[in-house]
Amino acid sequence: MILYVTTIILLLLLAPILLSFIKSLKMLLLFKRPSSLLQGYRNFSKLMQKETIVSEETSSITTYAPFLVLSPLLVTMFFLPPVVHGAFYVSFVDAFTITGLISLSTFFLMLLGLDSASAFGGMGSSREAFISALVEPAMVLTVFSVSMMAGDLGIGQAGVNLAEHFPKEHMASFLFAGISFFILLIAENGRIPVDNPETHLELTMIHEAMILDLSGVYLAIIEAAASVKFVIFASLFVSLFIPFGLEYSAPVAILIFIAKLFGVAIAVAVLEVNTAKLRLFKVPNLLGISIVFAFLSLITFYVLGA
Amino acid sequence: MFQFDTLSLVFVALIFLGTIPNILYSFGYLPHIQRKMHYQLHYFAFIFSMIGVVVAGNALVFLFFWELMSLTSWQLILTEVKDKETIKAARFYFLMTHFGFVFLLLFFLIVSDGNLSMNFSDMKNIATAFAYPTLLFFMLIFGFLSKAGAVPFHVWLPYAHPAAPSPVSALMSGVMLKVAIYGFARFLFDVLYPWPMEWGIVVLVIGSISSLVGVLYALSEHDIKALLANHSIENIGIILIGFGMGMIFDSLGLKALSTFAFIAALFHVFNHMSFKSLLFMGAGSVLHQTHTKNIEKYGGLIKSMPVTALTFLLASISISALPPSNGFLSEWMIFQSMLGSHDITDTSLKLAIPFAIFALAITGGLAIACFVKAYGITFLGLHRSKNAKHAHEVNFLMKSGMILMSLVVISLMLFTPFYISWFDKTLVSLHHVSVYAKMFPHEFINMHSVAVHGGVVSPLILLASLLGVTLLLFFAYKALHVKTKVYHTWGCGYKTSAKTQYSATGFAGPIRRFFDWLYNSDEHFHKERIGEHETKFSDSSYEVHVKPLFERSLYEGSKKGTNILSYWVYRLAHFEQTRYAAMIFNLMLLVLFSYRIFFHDFSWATFVLESVVMIISVKVLIIGDKK
Repeated sequence: MILYVTTIILLLLLAPILLSFIKSLKMLLLFKRPSSLLQGYRNFSKLMQKETIVSEETSSITTYAPFLVLSPLLVTMFFLPPVVHGAFYVSFVDAFTITGLISLSTFFLMLLGLDSASAFGGMGSSREAFISALVEPAMVLTVFSVSMMAGDLGIGQAGVNLAEHFPKEHMASFLFAGISFFILLIAENGRIPVDNPETHLELTMIHEAMILDLSGVYLAIIEAAASVKFVIFASLFVSLFIPFGLEYSAPVAILIFIAKLFGVAIAVAVLEVNTAKLRLFKVPNLLGISIVFAFLSLITFYVLGA
Repeated sequence: MFQFDTLSLVFVALIFLGTIPNILYSFGYLPHIQRKMHYQLHYFAFIFSMIGVVVAGNALVFLFFWELMSLTSWQLILTEVKDKETIKAARFYFLMTHFGFVFLLLFFLIVSDGNLSMNFSDMKNIATAFAYPTLLFFMLIFGFLSKAGAVPFHVWLPYAHPAAPSPVSALMSGVMLKVAIYGFARFLFDVLYPWPMEWGIVVLVIGSISSLVGVLYALSEHDIKALLANHSIENIGIILIGFGMGMIFDSLGLKALSTFAFIAALFHVFNHMSFKSLLFMGAGSVLHQTHTKNIEKYGGLIKSMPVTALTFLLASISISALPPSNGFLSEWMIFQSMLGSHDITDTSLKLAIPFAIFALAITGGLAIACFVKAYGITFLGLHRSKNAKHAHEVNFLMKSGMILMSLVVISLMLFTPFYISWFDKTLVSLHHVSVYAKMFPHEFINMHSVAVHGGVVSPLILLASLLGVTLLLFFAYKALHVKTKVYHTWGCGYKTSAKTQYSATGFAGPIRRFFDWLYNSDEHFHKERIGEHETKFSDSSYEVHVKPLFERSLYEGSKKGTNILSYWVYRLAHFEQTRYAAMIFNLMLLVLFSYRIFFHDFSWATFVLESVVMIISVKVLIIGDKK
């Protein structure tokens, strides 16, 4: 139980660092001077001290929605697979619930975008709605496939099962599912090539457009939610698709887990440096690839058993 | 004459849950209606007839109440005749509902051997002896699913529901469609029981297509009630997916999974009744205040209509299947039942089910998009028209109707095990195995899937943790005593006004563009340019109209076909006597030749010769020269 709580707190603390790490690694790769790893914390504390400007066009949705954006993600943190062998974990919560909780968070974020009566907010919401509608089937199919291989639908239990019996005999479908899930990780977190979190150009904005009218604490909450979402996806990816190193003693296993999270962050950063952002109407092609890989994974599992 | 078995009683409960809040709402709505007597008479007769349908014990009573239900609802659509569209919608509804009725009558005449006062259970023997059970199955599909609004018989919904007064559309969409599902279930279980696997697949395919078609057309809709009507098609599709899975599992002998899938479908029947009624009531309240159904004319209503906005939000979350709402729970169950498909040994079937999962998942995603649009454009932002500016909260009765219905939604979420135990008993009474003990093995907090290694969900824990964390965050925020300042939304230096906001058309733009091959939309773009400039204009308008695919192909197509056919019949009917004689002569030739071909020897040479003779004789004698 202590391990369980420690892991969650650790992951929460790690969340802003991971995003800052991606950013500084990208800067390094582009021969710029990298920003500090603690930049996420600095931004957060600065935003917390600022006064909050609320638009007079907004309604009570803006007052409450930021909390509803963050809270489903925080609840999801409690349902992640364990990091250390033998640690407490919530075994039963399945992927539909987790997908649903993430969608709930996105739902309120989209409402938030529409609430401020600005064209940017609506634009961001509209694009987000488009992309998340297409992410949903890929997510469900991928998770279905993985849970078949793991032999359990509960995400926590699936993570443990995969760590104990790595599905060597289903390597092909496992890999397909992994590729599909990595695309989802990028799409759901608004990274390049789907969305560029660093620009504020109306041609490219998705996530930033929705939150353009937020400031102060509200913005801090939404930024926190974005980083928590990245940690959720990264640790799901790590627990389901790189399920190694759980059997060591607690500190070592946690360190290995964190190293794997940074590995995912490096992969994302390298991908971001090497690709250009896709046009909005090209994004469905990428998500289509993800859906096709999810189908392939299921079909190879069923037909070839591989 | 009447029967009160568990299935009937469950649907009676459904009707009561759906109508009691609706009656309150309807009384609040009454001052808005001119023909009060006409409305009330038909309204209560409508409710009465729905109860009659679900408790009917023989075919005659069933058909009587079924027809009464159709006629009263048809009259209710005609309550407020403002334009020709309403009359057209009502006529279309009348036609579609009687299209279904014909098949029902045929079905009953076959399975009761002409004795319409026979019990349903006695029909089974005749149905088993009947040589073509699939014919009977298709009669059920035509009869009941044309009422329920499944593809391809869904076309009347987006016309009929917006035309009716709001309490009636809530009743029609929330309850009447479910009565059709009741009929479908009743005769599938009671009369046609051992189902071949193909039937289940047919239902599954219809369900998947309906869910996708419904949500896609809902997204492109600007009339709020037509949007909701399209969502009814989607949800009927989801119910049918559950149904189809149940039938497939049953024919494969996976009894527990079959019961689980049927429970999921029944649960979704209840959930859809609750949130769809609530949504129609909310839409009705908005319509009542703003006097327009066009979603582009709303905006900012959350400030003037807080109760409506809150209940509409609850229903939106529920219909988008977001946890921990009741809509999520039933969709979760349907997903879980589909995941049970890995027990199936037939590989081709096994490979087909992921496509249904795909359909259901993308439906969920698009439903979220659609309800963000419906909620965001209606209630958030700035007023898009004067009507929206002058809107007030509706009267007490309407408010209490909505609040009562949201209590029904919440009760379906909180007391899931209780409702599931009803559905379980229903399925047991229909000779299925009980799965209640498997679904709630330890306590009633966690709901388990019946599939091997199935998932678990606990609505109460989810709700409590979400509420807890949100409140914790909120109080932490309050404790910070953050200074807040109120200022305008930043509009890039321009004034933020209603026109700078995103419109519903714009919101659905990306999705509409992506699915353009399906929508085939009709765009009207008009710009009053200043001088020769491409980018400077004084006035512009953009409109998109989408004509649904099925209406375009199936309905318009058959209309055209009938027209062509009737043209030829017309030409024949206006011939002179000599031509009639020629036709008789040709007919005799045809009979003689075909007699020779079919009953004597057949040789290609004579066949060709006879065909040539026939063609020449038809050409010369009947068609004649072109004028």
